Amino acid sequence: MNETIKADKVMDLKGLPCPMPVVKVSKGIKEVAVGQVIEAISTDPGALTDFPAWAKTSGNQILKTEQSGKEIHFFIKRLS
Amino acid sequence: MNTVYFFILVPMVYIAFAVFIIGMAAQVIRVLKKPKLNASLRIYPEEKPRWFWSIFDSILLPTVWRHNKALWFFLIAFHASFILVFLGHLELITEMKWIQLIKHEIFLGKGFVGLIMSIALLFFLFRRFISPTKELSVPEDYFLLVLLFLTVVFGSEMDWARRWYDYGEMSVDAYRSYLSSIFLLSPKIADVTTSGHSFMLVLHVFFANLFLMFFPFSHLIHSIFAFSLNKIRRG
Amino acid sequence: MEKRIREELLALFKSKLSRPMEMYLETCARCGICTEACHAYASMPLPKYTPAYRAEVVRRIYKNYFRWQGKTVPKAGECKKLDETIIDELKEAAYSCTGCRRCMVYCPFGIDTQQIMSIAKLLLVGAHAEPELLSLLADVSISKGESIDSFKEGFLEGVKNLEEEVVEKWRHEAGRTPIPTEVVGAEILYVALAGAHSIIPAAAIFNAAKENWTLSFFEAVNFGAFVGDPTKTKIIMDRIINEAKRLKVKEVCICECGTAFRVMSQLSGSRPFKVSSITEVHSRYLKEGRIRLDKSKFNVPITYHDPCQIARNGGVIDEPRYILSHLTDNFIEMSQDPKYNWCCGGGGGLVALGEETLDFRMKSAKVKAEQISKTGAAILATACENCHTQLSNLNEHYKLGMNVQFLSSLVSDALAK
Repeated sequence: MNETIKADKVMDLKGLPCPMPVVKVSKGIKEVAVGQVIEAISTDPGALTDFPAWAKTSGNQILKTEQSGKEIHFFIKRLS
Repeated sequence: MNTVYFFILVPMVYIAFAVFIIGMAAQVIRVLKKPKLNASLRIYPEEKPRWFWSIFDSILLPTVWRHNKALWFFLIAFHASFILVFLGHLELITEMKWIQLIKHEIFLGKGFVGLIMSIALLFFLFRRFISPTKELSVPEDYFLLVLLFLTVVFGSEMDWARRWYDYGEMSVDAYRSYLSSIFLLSPKIADVTTSGHSFMLVLHVFFANLFLMFFPFSHLIHSIFAFSLNKIRRG
Repeated sequence: MEKRIREELLALFKSKLSRPMEMYLETCARCGICTEACHAYASMPLPKYTPAYRAEVVRRIYKNYFRWQGKTVPKAGECKKLDETIIDELKEAAYSCTGCRRCMVYCPFGIDTQQIMSIAKLLLVGAHAEPELLSLLADVSISKGESIDSFKEGFLEGVKNLEEEVVEKWRHEAGRTPIPTEVVGAEILYVALAGAHSIIPAAAIFNAAKENWTLSFFEAVNFGAFVGDPTKTKIIMDRIINEAKRLKVKEVCICECGTAFRVMSQLSGSRPFKVSSITEVHSRYLKEGRIRLDKSKFNVPITYHDPCQIARNGGVIDEPRYILSHLTDNFIEMSQDPKYNWCCGGGGGLVALGEETLDFRMKSAKVKAEQISKTGAAILATACENCHTQLSNLNEHYKLGMNVQFLSSLVSDALAK
């Protein structure tokens, strides 16, 4: 496990209704500088497909996906 | 003046009818040529038979009854009058026994049908001056209402003169000889151009001609599409 | 506006001119009966919020380019040229309309404002003036469909995490997976939303009914439909259709999502499988005695908000009431006639736009808040994610003090062992 990733912004997206996790993360990524990283936390299995697809579409990069218990942590780097 | 009278009473009538018939057909064909939509646009719950309810919706306007009783009253009065007036004009072409099942002097309603139509048209016109219908209306809407109002008023005037003021110079027979001659394609206008009331007829026919010509190209096409649209809503 | 762009937009416009659309555009008499039908107008009486006015924005362009009036006497119909200024008007019209089709019930001709607004939305897409977020969401769905294999593993792992909670709600049967996926020949393919709340209660109820079901890899909602892009709508829908065909399921059950259900059941032609809403399926289980509910679970008055796309536009009206009759003896109708129920005010993509539209959503749904408040119920149930979010926002904004719940959650909480 790569412990060196440090998030510049943490977003709690647990239990949000559809499609808020993607909406929030789209907004959130714009609030950090290019090259910075946000950590998004979700409990929804859909996020595991939504976030990579979103990253691909919006041109950002998921550095790491970490599952700890029910929580899923996404580390997303703003690329554009 | 005679030339003007002749033009309005004969060639313009033929032109108006031609424009009306070809225009209506062209509109319907144009729409029929468009692709069908592979979707259901109906509103639930369903009530069957659907064809019955869509005709019911188109003729009795239950949605208007529910939401605007005054408008419903005038709309029904107007459209019912329109049908009676249409039947009256058929009788002016030739005798129609089936219409005479209810015995009457030509034009059912003793002159009141035209009066009801005029009042209804004024109601439709004036409600367009009130917001938010005002903001929705376009010049065409006012124009059509004014045009129809003028047609109805001059048409009714002839009826009213005969019935209510004992005006006897132009009789039903005179009108009939004119209108039937038009339909038999051997126009005779002598009987209707010599009276002091002739200008009423000429104006009535003039406005009616214009109305017929605008009809297919305006929202009056609802006279046909209302049925198909209500069918779509009913599924 | 450049000639080339205008021509492209007009080509898009033309692509929408189906038979019903032509009649919708030709027939309106601008009588104004529809004005009071719109919750936005009822809450904020401005002419621009009347259905006919919104339709006129599109109709005036139509008349200018596709009818004789535009070529002869454009002023008579106040015909409008397609240019930059009209783009703002189109946006205001299209995104102040939730597509609830309540006005269609008022109109003496049955003119469908949602259809007409689909032209406005498509023109906005063509002019790159649509809400970006909706297009992004649609693209995310499409991208998921294109490369599902690379996401599959993560998804399956996420689903596994939910199984424990499903089993908490309904005991585990030996030899069965609490959340089955990829079951070829299943009776039901359940298409959920990305959230756990859309999967857990549904799974518990399927298992309680001993259903042979399988969970879809895709989310039901169709953002292509929200943004009004027919191509994207179809691609997003086809992901699910292809999955259903591949798994040879008999029935596709759509979760509590109005748009998803309407698009799949009404707007996409015939399918080799049955399409049902989850509410219909639950009602069926109750009728067949496959599940039983414990009425003592909720001892408070319950009211139900009919989602427009599911009730008025989808035909699921009796089923939620049947379910509610098994949940409570104290059900309160919200609207005398469900066909006339007020829209929550969040449809047509407004809720998906989140904070951006919050102010308008709250103001335009004042009548909805009043209607809810009048019921005096303690629980406000509904069967649409979109409505649920909007109703929760209204609940907070207008301090209604309601407990907003999904109907399926109530069912799963009341499952009798």
